[in-house]
Amino acid sequence: MAGAVAKLPSLVNSAIANAKPKFAIFLKYAKVELAPPKPSEISQIKAGIAKLLSSARTGAWKQQTVKQATLNTLVGAEVLFWFYVGECIGKRHIVGYNV
Amino acid sequence: MADLPYGPPVRVSPLIRFGRWSFLTAGILYGAFHQNRLSKREVKIREVEAKEKAIRDEKIKREKAIAAAAELKNLEEMVNKKD
Repeated sequence: MAGAVAKLPSLVNSAIANAKPKFAIFLKYAKVELAPPKPSEISQIKAGIAKLLSSARTGAWKQQTVKQATLNTLVGAEVLFWFYVGECIGKRHIVGYNV
Repeated sequence: MADLPYGPPVRVSPLIRFGRWSFLTAGILYGAFHQNRLSKREVKIREVEAKEKAIRDEKIKREKAIAAAAELKNLEEMVNKKD
């Protein structure tokens, strides 16, 4: 037990040393893939919303392959889950409301 | 970008990124708003509970006093009967 406790700092240090380059790679991807939309992209966003609406109106969304539909559903779910991440940040508690 | 092991980053559609960020901010605002509303409601409930507790404590005290008096009376009667 005492030996395990003595090893703990070196374990933590090696874990941090291992994680650092990986985190740097993550940051490089995140800066592109998770960046907030730029003002110059507003026209593309508008076009995307219009496309969504027109596909909902014309029923074009029913003419997808199963693969496309699955991917779209997963992407939609991911986007929706950001709302719950935001809710957890806003209520400053992870499970339930701390009143 | 040459040092990226998984190829160049994917160009995520601006609509998806816009959706993520707007849902995130909407969630933060909703969470804060709902937290505020619920805690206000809870404060009111606590006040009512505190008032009710005072009344209940008083009632329990009176009932206990009555029960103790009755017990004492019973005991006295029993003792007096034996004599």
